[in-house]
Amino acid sequence: MNNLLAARQAPGVLIQVTDLTKSYQTDSGTIYVLKDVNLSIDPGEIVAVMGPSGSGKSTLLFILGIFISPTTGSYLLGGEDVLRLDRNAQAEFRRNRVGFVFQSCDLLENSTVYENLEFPLIYAGVARGERPARIGAALDLVNLGHRIHHSSNRLSGGERQRVAVARALVNQPQVILADEPTGQLDRSHGHQVMDHFVEIVSHSQTSIVVVTHDPEMAARCTRVCSIRDGILYEQ
Amino acid sequence: MRLNDLMTVSVRQVVRHRRRYLGVVLAIALGVAGFINIITMSRVVKTNFNEDLDLIGGVTVIRLYFDNNRSYRPQWFRDNTLAALSRLNGVKEMSLMAVHTANTNWHGQQYGFSVLGVDEAFWQVRNFWAQTGNLFGAESVAGRKRECVLGAELARKIFGSHDVRGRSLEINNESYWVSGVLGGVTDSGSANAAFLPLTTTKDRMAGQVLTDRLYLRCQTWDDVSRIAAAIPAIIKANQSPEELHVEVSWEGLKRVQQLAWWIQFLIYLAISATFILGGVGIWNVMMAAVVTRTREIGLKKAMGAEDKDILAQFLSEALCLSMGAALLGGLLGRIMMEILGRLLGIRPPENLFFLGLALGFLFAVILGVGAGLYPSLRASRMEVVTAIRYE
Repeated sequence: MNNLLAARQAPGVLIQVTDLTKSYQTDSGTIYVLKDVNLSIDPGEIVAVMGPSGSGKSTLLFILGIFISPTTGSYLLGGEDVLRLDRNAQAEFRRNRVGFVFQSCDLLENSTVYENLEFPLIYAGVARGERPARIGAALDLVNLGHRIHHSSNRLSGGERQRVAVARALVNQPQVILADEPTGQLDRSHGHQVMDHFVEIVSHSQTSIVVVTHDPEMAARCTRVCSIRDGILYEQ
Repeated sequence: MRLNDLMTVSVRQVVRHRRRYLGVVLAIALGVAGFINIITMSRVVKTNFNEDLDLIGGVTVIRLYFDNNRSYRPQWFRDNTLAALSRLNGVKEMSLMAVHTANTNWHGQQYGFSVLGVDEAFWQVRNFWAQTGNLFGAESVAGRKRECVLGAELARKIFGSHDVRGRSLEINNESYWVSGVLGGVTDSGSANAAFLPLTTTKDRMAGQVLTDRLYLRCQTWDDVSRIAAAIPAIIKANQSPEELHVEVSWEGLKRVQQLAWWIQFLIYLAISATFILGGVGIWNVMMAAVVTRTREIGLKKAMGAEDKDILAQFLSEALCLSMGAALLGGLLGRIMMEILGRLLGIRPPENLFFLGLALGFLFAVILGVGAGLYPSLRASRMEVVTAIRYE
């Protein structure tokens, strides 16, 4: 079945979302969060998803990370129908194929920067001896190599978010999903994070999906999509 | 997740949040320390306690005798019988006795009394001591000396005083040196008797003197029933058991055992309460940790942790907590054991300490897994989005 679906996917496309709908049943009827969303993303693309609060941006991102399942529609990543994966395979998918950056600079408290970056490697079964080099490389990409043994509690907001970017990168994923990564940062730190995203795609075939409210950030992306009332529009 | 990573992460987590876990660790550690001391010291304390309990009736002493008044073939305890009895597990010491009658003339007054021929172990077995003077020992028995110890009542009747050491007394017209007066909890028979070395009794008393009485002291009251039940068969295997009587103070033994059972029960209850409190503490701390670390759980799942990784992490943290507490408890237990050992003047066996330690660790594992399982399951089953969005 996966082979058939892969055959339907356009060549070179990393993410192919087709007729994706997410709805909830309530006492007052059906609420549609996403309606017939179609989206394809090529390797190395940075796609901005914009829209007002409650429009369904984060829901789309969570479906792409298979944190939640759509009501209908299909989602192929690298040709594989990832919506059919069981719970353990979903964890493996998150471990090896996607990286996440959240809005609230989520780092593990009372842990060092190194330990924060080590967890994805631990879950991926990377040998201990291999980890320092991988962590060092990821931190160098966000210019935080010198902070490797600092406690995450002592970092500034901008540094914390750059560590989160490095953590998303450390397992060399195919796609990074970032949910308003600059939402809690000032303008200059927001630009730094965006600079790192641009640099990442320039060095690899990693694609990035960024949910943002910030038009300046969106302007630096390869493509910009917007969601209104659950419908995705390509700009 | 590899085992060494799991252990590293769990130990790190527990160490970094040590203040949060301190109360629980102390509760479990005290429970383990108490448990180790119960296991290690109970036998020794029980043995000491047994000796003290003779003050209320000598419940660990078994009295054996042949009732030769009712038999045509008088019996006495043979050497091979004594050797077989002494080999019985739980027998601490034995003392042979022969009974004879005698009289004395003191200032024209005739006194009749019993002469009890005893060996040097008798005083220890019956827990007697000298009220005045001394009780004769092995040297007097081996030397067949003409020496005697008087029961308190007999001394008072003849001499009008208990201060009789060094005086001489004629028994069946032979002069004996009085070494002391018997003390301790005595029955009227002992209080009105004169105690002679067994060898002297055999040599000096007229007619046949039979060692037809035996006192046997058990190590603990738990040994009494078993040994009393085994005695007839052992006697039968070595000599005629005709008119053998085995006497145990069953009523006293039962009361002492009940008393000891209640004391032990209360101690175990206190230790169980400590363990339960420790278990509830672990449960509580881990449940609180699951709530306060909800976002962390969501993050780790977003990084690719499987349910089993989260389960293993929380469970191993609970285990680290309880095992760490058990380790501390083992140390405290050892210190308590050394202090108690010095206070009681005893050296508890090392193998019992290690047994207590092993059992303490086993309980800690059961406690850690038991109390940590539900919180860990709850953490592992959390949905990623719910966890990440948790405020």
